[in-house]
Amino acid sequence: MKEQVIVMGGGVIGLSCAFELRKRGHEVTVMETSRCGGQASGAAAGMLAPYSENVEGPDAFFQLGLESLQLYPEWQAAVKLASGHSFEYTNSGSLYAVFHDADLLAFEGRQLWQCRHGASSRIVEGGELQRLEPNLASNVRAALYTPEESHLYAPHYVKALEQGCRLMGVEIIEQLEQLAVTEWQSEIRVRAADGRIFSGDRLVVCSGAWAKELEETFGIRIPVYPIRGQICAYEADALPVRHMVFSSQGYLVAKENGTLVCGASEDVAGFDTSVTDKGIERLRKWNRRLFPELEHRDPFHRWAGLRPSTQDGFPLLGPLSSSDRVIMAAGHYRNGILLSPATARFVADCLDEKQTVECKKAFSPERFGYL
Amino acid sequence: MRDLFRIGNQELSSRFFIGTGLFPNPHVQKEAIKASGAQVLTFAIRRINLESARDDSILQHVQDEAYTYLPNTSGARTADEAVRIARLARASGLSDWIKVEISANERTLLPDPIETLKATEILVKEGFTVLPYITDDPIMCKRLEEAGAAAVMPGAAPIGTGLGILNPYHLGLIVEEASVPIIVDAGLGTVSDAAQAMELGVSAVLMNTPVAKAKDPVWMAGAMRLAIEAGRLAYLSGRMEKKKYASASSGYEAFKLN
Ligand SMILES: Cc1cc2nc3c(=O)[nH]c(=O)nc-3n(C[C@H](O)[C@H](O)[C@H](O)COP(=O)(O)OP(=O)(O)OC[C@H]3O[C@@H](n4cnc5c(N)ncnc54)[C@H](O)[C@@H]3O)c2cc1C
Repeated sequence: MKEQVIVMGGGVIGLSCAFELRKRGHEVTVMETSRCGGQASGAAAGMLAPYSENVEGPDAFFQLGLESLQLYPEWQAAVKLASGHSFEYTNSGSLYAVFHDADLLAFEGRQLWQCRHGASSRIVEGGELQRLEPNLASNVRAALYTPEESHLYAPHYVKALEQGCRLMGVEIIEQLEQLAVTEWQSEIRVRAADGRIFSGDRLVVCSGAWAKELEETFGIRIPVYPIRGQICAYEADALPVRHMVFSSQGYLVAKENGTLVCGASEDVAGFDTSVTDKGIERLRKWNRRLFPELEHRDPFHRWAGLRPSTQDGFPLLGPLSSSDRVIMAAGHYRNGILLSPATARFVADCLDEKQTVECKKAFSPERFGYL
Repeated sequence: MRDLFRIGNQELSSRFFIGTGLFPNPHVQKEAIKASGAQVLTFAIRRINLESARDDSILQHVQDEAYTYLPNTSGARTADEAVRIARLARASGLSDWIKVEISANERTLLPDPIETLKATEILVKEGFTVLPYITDDPIMCKRLEEAGAAAVMPGAAPIGTGLGILNPYHLGLIVEEASVPIIVDAGLGTVSDAAQAMELGVSAVLMNTPVAKAKDPVWMAGAMRLAIEAGRLAYLSGRMEKKKYASASSGYEAFKLN
């Protein structure tokens, strides 16, 4: 049955859900308080790295990330086709660099579980590491090489999603300032600050770091907090970096457009999106340990975004039990770009009653209890 | 009640040592550590930016309070490697406390007792305040104490398993024999485990995973704190004796009218 769906929030999650739902024939309206892609999604480094981002082991979150990584080849092609826009999508592989012999024990464990879950990871050191990443500091003891990880250029990806949505007939309404959900059980009604009322059959909540605002409305606890990420970019023409390079302190990734992106801080700073000297200095203090050449360079661009983090690190995904008209898709923290295709598919499957919620129980939006 | 204990030259009132790893994000980490009331924080040296510890991705979030840092040598497989990274940690100005953690097996991460003893001896000589992590073997714990350990940290179960205290009998013996603080490290899963450890008379417990991996780490940190306090108080109070058969708490005699 084709339904009238309102998507709250025009970040990568909202746009991906809209894209998938429209593809399946639903009538979709994206309602955005400011500008599509203007928050976390436009700030992201674009890494699709479920193995490197999950250092501890394969939990439900990793599984969702892996599912998403595997959807990407087809998904990104569909977004490009629908939008007529191109964006960088590079299968570079990643290197997780460490400095001590003591890191190797943990590497062995990680390599083992990564290989059991679809990767061909291996520990590289010495000459082989130098060949893989020639500018890497010589005192890097070893790296865990995971060829399966990719990255994309997030601002262009989000733009293409938006354009694809528009061309397919998704209505996108921006600059709505403030939205109130006034009815969500018998139907969906949303009131904008200018008094306009929008109605539909279903509501998908994709308001990222702002999702907590709906706690009172739905009577559930939504422990989503903004964690600011400060990030910067260098002109990289003279310093080729071939892989995504991770360390315990952060990561570097070179983009097709000749920039080298270095991220990112994790600041507890409320909804403040300013960039601080201290935050960027912190990145500069460790990145030269990976690439000594960077010591003599200044980043030419610095920016920040608010990641939607949750109390247990997992996003809130799925319908509310009190009304399956409402589907939550918020709290993707550090991995929203990676998780966008799997989230879109899950949300659309929930709406179409194709997937049981059972398989994504770890992400139940009501797991934190009621107000 | 002032119920303090001493490690090296430091007096402590909190009996909860907390690990800084595994938290879902820095906001939750910070709040959970606050709720734990812990005075001692532990972390893996290999994960720290030693050149600029203040700017480290984890330590930067816990700098406002006066915590004592207990860096650990996790990942080291030999005494040499543990000693090497312990020296790096001290040279960076982090702390001269060191938790010796040497594991030879990737799957169980159980400590290697021979290498642990060796590293403890060397680091004690170099003036570190040494807290070795070790299996719950009473003889081994005593040997570490004799080697100069400031406290000994027997594991309840393998790291991160949450299996609870696998051998309470051994832990009891270790406490009985010890003349330095015994701190249960690793393997606890929930509040009853923490309370049980304290009832057995240990001086403190160290936890990370059971707090960081709770659905609400902040509440769990608070719950653990209460469990540790309750267990400690129960230990000091002395439990009743166990009896085989029922005996009414208010006996018949109490109701007789004179
Ligand atoms: C510096 C940095 C680097 C990152 N790097 C990566 C990476 O390499 N890989 C990766 O996978 N992820 C990365 N992320 C994380 C990723 O950016 C986020 O997880 C993702 O963007 C979250 O998407 P979202 O759509 O939920 O949130 P957002 O992009 O923040 O979108 C939410 C939108 O909702 C709007 N909104 C708010 N309230 C309402 C309301 N009431 N009604 C309607 N609209 C509303 C906002 O204006 C906003 O546009 C990074 C994040 C940062 C900050």
